[in-house]
Amino acid sequence: MGKEECKTMLDALNKVTACYRHLVIALGSTSDSQNLREELKKTRKKAQELAVANRTKLTSLLKDKSISKEDRAEYERLWVLFSSCMELLEVDMKRSLEIGQDFPLKVPTRHFIQTGMTGSTTTVAARAMSVQNMKYEADSNIDTVDLRDLQSEITQVSQMMEEMEMKVQVAPWAVEAKQEPGAELKSNMSVGNSSVGVISICEEEPKDEDGGGSRDPGFATICAVLVFFVIITVAVVLGYLVVNMS
Amino acid sequence: MPTAVHSSLLARSRYHSAFALCRPVVRSRVARNMTINSLAKGGWNREQMTCFRKMEKVIVAMQDPDMGMKMRNQRLLITVIPHAMTGRDIIDWLIQKYSICEEEALHIGGMLVKYGYIYPLKEPRSLVLRPDESPYRFQTPYFWTSTRWPASELDYAIYLAKKNIRKQGELMEYEKERYSILHKRINHTWDFVVMQAREQLRASKQRRKADRIVLECQEQAYWLINRPPPGVANVLDMGLERPNSFSSWITLNSDYYKREIDTSRRALGRNRVKSSICLESFVKFSEQYLYHDPIMQGCLPSNPWISDDTAHWTMNAESVPTPTRLRVECWSFSFMSLLNDVMGRREFMTYLEKEFSAENLCFWQACEDIRHGESSRIVEKVEEIYKNFLAPGAARWVNIDSKTMDKTLEGIRRPHRFVMDDAQLHIYFLMKKDSYPRYLKSDLYKNMLAKAIVPQETKKSVFPFMRRQRHASPSPAQATAHPAEEEGQAKGAKKAGTNSSVHSNA
Repeated sequence: MGKEECKTMLDALNKVTACYRHLVIALGSTSDSQNLREELKKTRKKAQELAVANRTKLTSLLKDKSISKEDRAEYERLWVLFSSCMELLEVDMKRSLEIGQDFPLKVPTRHFIQTGMTGSTTTVAARAMSVQNMKYEADSNIDTVDLRDLQSEITQVSQMMEEMEMKVQVAPWAVEAKQEPGAELKSNMSVGNSSVGVISICEEEPKDEDGGGSRDPGFATICAVLVFFVIITVAVVLGYLVVNMS
Repeated sequence: MPTAVHSSLLARSRYHSAFALCRPVVRSRVARNMTINSLAKGGWNREQMTCFRKMEKVIVAMQDPDMGMKMRNQRLLITVIPHAMTGRDIIDWLIQKYSICEEEALHIGGMLVKYGYIYPLKEPRSLVLRPDESPYRFQTPYFWTSTRWPASELDYAIYLAKKNIRKQGELMEYEKERYSILHKRINHTWDFVVMQAREQLRASKQRRKADRIVLECQEQAYWLINRPPPGVANVLDMGLERPNSFSSWITLNSDYYKREIDTSRRALGRNRVKSSICLESFVKFSEQYLYHDPIMQGCLPSNPWISDDTAHWTMNAESVPTPTRLRVECWSFSFMSLLNDVMGRREFMTYLEKEFSAENLCFWQACEDIRHGESSRIVEKVEEIYKNFLAPGAARWVNIDSKTMDKTLEGIRRPHRFVMDDAQLHIYFLMKKDSYPRYLKSDLYKNMLAKAIVPQETKKSVFPFMRRQRHASPSPAQATAHPAEEEGQAKGAKKAGTNSSVHSNA
């Protein structure tokens, strides 16, 4: 059905936008690298594809006069969500252009800001591209070449947004949100981190989330505890035997 | 041979590195020109404020691996996060790099923290630079304070939603308020806010724990500055000093430079008087008018504002049979002061009639009348002047040089208020240079001076507290000379009230 399809596509675009923002935040900092630029490029292209797909689908649905009123309201809501997503994407693209120009990769006198983030963003990009592992195949001058592409893409996106505003008449005030305030807390996904505050770095922020997130260290501690108990049991048994023997 | 090759290689590499240094800056400015101008919708170009650009330069300079800031590691319970620095490090670096004193370094460092380029790790809500061991960290370029990319409501809503999820609803009071306000205000896109918040959290979970912690700190610092808690001043709000347009994009083209050159040239050509000359004439003026100033000298017979005796005014009225001496003396100070006094003008006219050059003054008076008179009567007045003074064979023909005469006659064809200005000025200087000095030497004037009265100071009554003070308050000139009198005068001053005195004809 058209609605489900639209929703899935919008979710995909949403996911890619979130990942793109995450990558742009890392630009210019110590987690910046050639790989990051390539990831940005790939994510961006994927976002654009999804955006175009979304737009064509939604415009065709909205142009259709034969749909019911509830359907139409729903499509208008999706349209508003889609345009907000595009707003974010456009701003992030412009910012990535600006920061990318300010922090070129190969200039030895231009140093990245030491922000404390040193890990790579591969997993984020992999999530955006919906692949298991990212493959990197770009040349070393990707930062300059890509910026030119980025400029033209930004113009494309701006044009698309203008067209959207002109051609599709959807009144934002007529759209009502489906979620009440605080709806995000009701999610049963593991997104809601149980903030088991193990470490509080600053006064109240941020509590170290040890919840559903990083399983690896948790798993390691469980293993360690198990091994410890096994050793204790073995020691007790041996001691008992020794005591029995003697 | 080898040295030659070596040096040429060195030169080439230096050239390349210098070129590389220049290239990004130029390119980025040109590119920025292209991009921002072409991308701006609706024509409003926002610019990054200069002060922020300067701060960014300082931050980038701190990143130099050799000359930059010394970095330490921040040790949390199990994670170690690099790139922390103490407040003391920051100040020492600033002192060393810019050769400034500690106070100035504290100020600059404080500004870097205040505007969010560096954020504190302990006590994140207190955005001050402490010159001790408290840890700080750099902010990522995306979260730098920017007037070009102001923080939007949508972003703030997403941040609050994320925080809500992470803290299971335990937001601070003001955050809860803002959350509900935003929910109402951008209700139409609230579903997107929730969606995006969830996705952003999922994306951040893909990173290592250390990076996640850093990211949260960064975001928190960013929003503490862009949406400060209630009671904290918004650093981006500059109040009355706010520049009124961020949008002025001055194109540095040839027109701009031509205008600048013109302005500077005009400024150079302005008439300037040396202050020594100005002050000389000012001193001369002050000395001349010293005895005429009621505040400095007191006025005779007595100050009407104090003694309620209006004799001073009646004696200095416009037309009295005998003027006061001070008034007549004043006529000798300048020609203008003679003409400004009605009586003086009359006397001068009498003198000129004797000299058979009265038409000059009549002409001058008629011109003044045009200048200050009604607009509706200008044309007829000009006609009259022409008939009486300028026409060949007129009854009272004035002697003006031919150039001015031609110009005036030209102008009379299209009469306006200032058409007689040149001729008037010519006659004015004629009188000033010629007739005026002779008048001052004439018998007429000397007789007038001799006739002029000097009013008696009002008699002081017997009882001290009924005394009519000539000086309302102790004159500064008298203060040092008569310390004994001061006491009595001070008493009178207390009785007196305001010290304003009427400054009549002087």
